[in-house]
Parts: sequence; structure tokens; C-alpha cells
Amino acid sequence: MEFGARSEVGRIRRNNEDSFAVSREMNLFVVSDGMGGQASGEIASRLAVDTVLAHCSGSGSNSTSPFVGERIAGVSDSSNRLASAIRSANLAIQQAAHESAAKQGMGATIVAVRCEAERMSVANVGDSRAYRLRDNQLEQLTRDHSLVAEQVRHGDMTEEEGSASELQNVLLRGLGIEAEVEVDVTDELLIEGDVILLCTDGLTHEVPDGQIESILRSASDAQQAADQLVDAANQAGGRDNITAIVVRPFSQRPGAFSGAGRLGKWLRSLANQS
Amino acid sequence: MPKLVLKFGDSVLKELQVGRKEVSIGRSPNNGLVIDNPAVSNRHARVFSQDEHLMLEDFGSLNGTFVNGQRVKSTSLNPGDAVTIGKHTILVEGTHELDGFAVWTPRTKPLPVAPQINETIMLDTKERREFVQKLAAEGERSQLAPGRQKLATLVVIKGKTDQREYTLTDKLTVIGKSSMATVKLLGWFAPKAAAQINRRDDNSHYIGAAGRLPKVNGKPVKRPVKLETGDVIEVAGIKLEFHYRD
Repeated sequence: MEFGARSEVGRIRRNNEDSFAVSREMNLFVVSDGMGGQASGEIASRLAVDTVLAHCSGSGSNSTSPFVGERIAGVSDSSNRLASAIRSANLAIQQAAHESAAKQGMGATIVAVRCEAERMSVANVGDSRAYRLRDNQLEQLTRDHSLVAEQVRHGDMTEEEGSASELQNVLLRGLGIEAEVEVDVTDELLIEGDVILLCTDGLTHEVPDGQIESILRSASDAQQAADQLVDAANQAGGRDNITAIVVRPFSQRPGAFSGAGRLGKWLRSLANQS
Repeated sequence: MPKLVLKFGDSVLKELQVGRKEVSIGRSPNNGLVIDNPAVSNRHARVFSQDEHLMLEDFGSLNGTFVNGQRVKSTSLNPGDAVTIGKHTILVEGTHELDGFAVWTPRTKPLPVAPQINETIMLDTKERREFVQKLAAEGERSQLAPGRQKLATLVVIKGKTDQREYTLTDKLTVIGKSSMATVKLLGWFAPKAAAQINRRDDNSHYIGAAGRLPKVNGKPVKRPVKLETGDVIEVAGIKLEFHYRD
């Protein structure tokens, strides 16, 4: 497992309201984009990622935190646990917002993935996204919960009209807004060569999918990919905070099993089985 | 007399003189200053005079009211102030001399100037519910979700698999030899994973490559393709037929 991450304020904003977190132990990656006046956006996104990490920690799906919300049929226990963690983050933000007037109305988006061998859980609320590059093709794994995305899906608007819309940043779902939140969650398969990207809208509003695809294809490692994505967003205007985490699930970190070739491959296969 | 100038981007939408009468701002048409945008609450804020000062008050709107980039609940206004509501800006202009009522308030601490650009906003709760319900109602009437209540099935028509037929109850169906696979391939040289089928929330199913390039009705699938009833899938030496059943 190899990953790289970068988060930047961009060129216009003065605060970075994005937060991200990585747990190597759980192979859990979380990105959140906060909203709200004064400093409350930062507080909301930080609270979101911290709560998800805390809720998932423990031993895998047998986490000690009580399950929040209803179980979703047709997905693994890990995915259900991830959805529960996000519902718990929703409650945490709402509670914090009620406690002080300055934090009222604060909220956050979230996207989280957790890898376990060949299985990956993907969950999201709002317009932060997860993508997968497979066979050099980029695919968006999450769907945005935004007014524009919903209208495009519904056929009221073409994709081109959607990306030109003034209402791109109007969300239909967010954390911290209501006591209950609908979380999208699914299982995904991981195969050798897959590259996963988690990001906020500061990247996707600035950099078209085609450019994201070519950066993920050509970057020599995950950190370089994350750096290049953030640089591209800044070059395109950097109008919002930009966060990107790039994960290469089956890639070896430099140094690990460095004796490549047949022996390295065999050692890796042992490591993957355990 | 103070003047409010409603702008969207560079274009001026409306100009309004402010007298002693309160000006309400919001999305519903009975406001003095109407801003027709889903991010604006029905009754969002008001501008009024108090103790000879021009005041702005937010009615607890979901997405807030900003003066020179700072979210405010209530504040006095001065010429040159920019009030942001959703994506719209209201510029405060004019003088107090003519009417003699509104005295521009000297502010002890100047507010920072930081325009809210591309601020992410939530649709009003009520507005959101109405919108989602409308979409759901239309979806049921139209043919958008043909397989809503139906079960997706795969029937094996050629090749070695552990069953002859599969009902796709999970969101993810893997075709391969892997322990994660639902459609288990039995051949000696079968790949760990060959293809995958994802169920989306409207109960549509998409097939995509997962190590091998599948074909649907003879056409190679480079990007995920939506499956329709009767489609024939070929991958890793097996042939499957996809069906929605009641």
C-alpha cells in the first residue's frame, strides 16, 4: 500500500477548510470539505475526519463503537461500519454546532475509503469524490449530492450545462445539517494496478477529468500524483481549497521488499495473504 | 438616501432606495428585494433603520448573510459595504444627506474585505425535501428506473462456474476465481478477477473490466456499460445472460 496526500488553501481563500486523515493501520483514507462562517468550516471538516477514524478504530468491523443508523443490505460489514462512522460524524458536527452560536450552520462533505485486501469500501456525502484509475481509464466511484449533479442524472440538464452552471456548489446532502443523513456506501474490487483518488471540489471544479486521468497515469508515485493534481488546480485558478489523496493499494513503498524480481514477488504474495 | 444595488456577477439586477420603510430580502416574491436562487431562504434577511442607523439583520438563514466576507447576524451598514447572499451581492451605496435619517455608523473595527467566492452552500431543508420528492415522483412515473423492484440475474450459458444461475443481491458482483467472487470461475487458468458488476441506487447494473476486458453483445467494454435485460456477457471463457426478473 502506497499513498500520497496534499491539502492547500488555494490562491483566493485565506483559510483551508478542507481536512483529511489517513490511518495506515486500517488502510482508511478520509477527506472532508467544511462549510460555515468564520472558522467553523475548518472545525466541521476536522471533526468529520477525526470522528470517522475514531469510530472505525478497534479491530476491523468488530469496532467497539456502537453502530449508528440502519444497516444497508447488499454491502459488506466493513462498508456498513464506514457508513455508521459517517453518521456518527454527522451527529458530532450537529452537536458542536448547537453548542455555540459561531458554529451554527456549519457543515461538511465527506468521502472515505477503506481497503482490506481485494475489497474496498467507498462512502460519501456531498460533492467530495472518489475516483479509480484502472487500465488507464478514470472512473468516478461516487456520485455527487449536489443540485446540479441530480439534475444531470435526471436528464434535466446536460453534463456540459451542469459544469457551466452557477449553482455547482449547492449541495443536497451534507454532514451536520440534520440529525439524520443518508450515506452512500458500496463495496469495490481492488486489482493490481488500480489507483484510487479522493479529493474535494477545489480540484474537480478546476481540473477536468481528462487531466486528472493523465496525471494519475504518468506520475511516478502516489505523492507526486497528489502534488501534481494540487498544482494543476492552483494553475487553473485555485479558487477553493484543494485536497487530494492518491492511494496505490498494491504498490510497494520504496524500500519495502526492495529486492524486486521473483523473490520480492513471492515475499509480497506471502505478505498479502497474511 | 442609501441605495441597495443587487448584483449577480458583473450584472446589476436591481437598484432600490432605502427609506424609513424596512426592506425584506428573500426568495419568496413578497419580499422588498427578491433573490430567486435555491440557496436563499424564503425570508432571508432585512435592511432597516434604527436609531438613525442603517441596519442589516439575518433571519437565521441556512446559508447565511455575509458583509465584506464575514458572516453576520446583525450589523450596521456603511457605504461601500458588500452584502453577500448565496451567489448574489448587494452593494450599499449613496449618502445620508438627502433624507437626513440614516447616519452611516462609524465602525470601531473595520470588517475585513474577503469576498465569498464559490462558497459551498446547502440547499434549505424544506427546499431540498421538495426537490428530492419531486425527482422521486417523476422517476416513478417515467421509465428511468426500469428494474426498480426487479431482481437482477445471471444465467450461465457457457463455461465452468460453481452455479448455473446467480441472483445479484449485492451492490458489487465479482466474476473470477477470487474469494470475493460471486460468479466463481472453476477453470484451471481462470483469473482471480475478470469483470465486475455494480448495482447503483436506482437498481441499474453496470459491468466493467476488472483484469479482463468483457464483451457485451459482442462489443468490448472499455468503460462501464449499463446492462439491459437479455444482454449477453462474455469474459474469461464464460458466457452469461443478464435478466431482470419480477
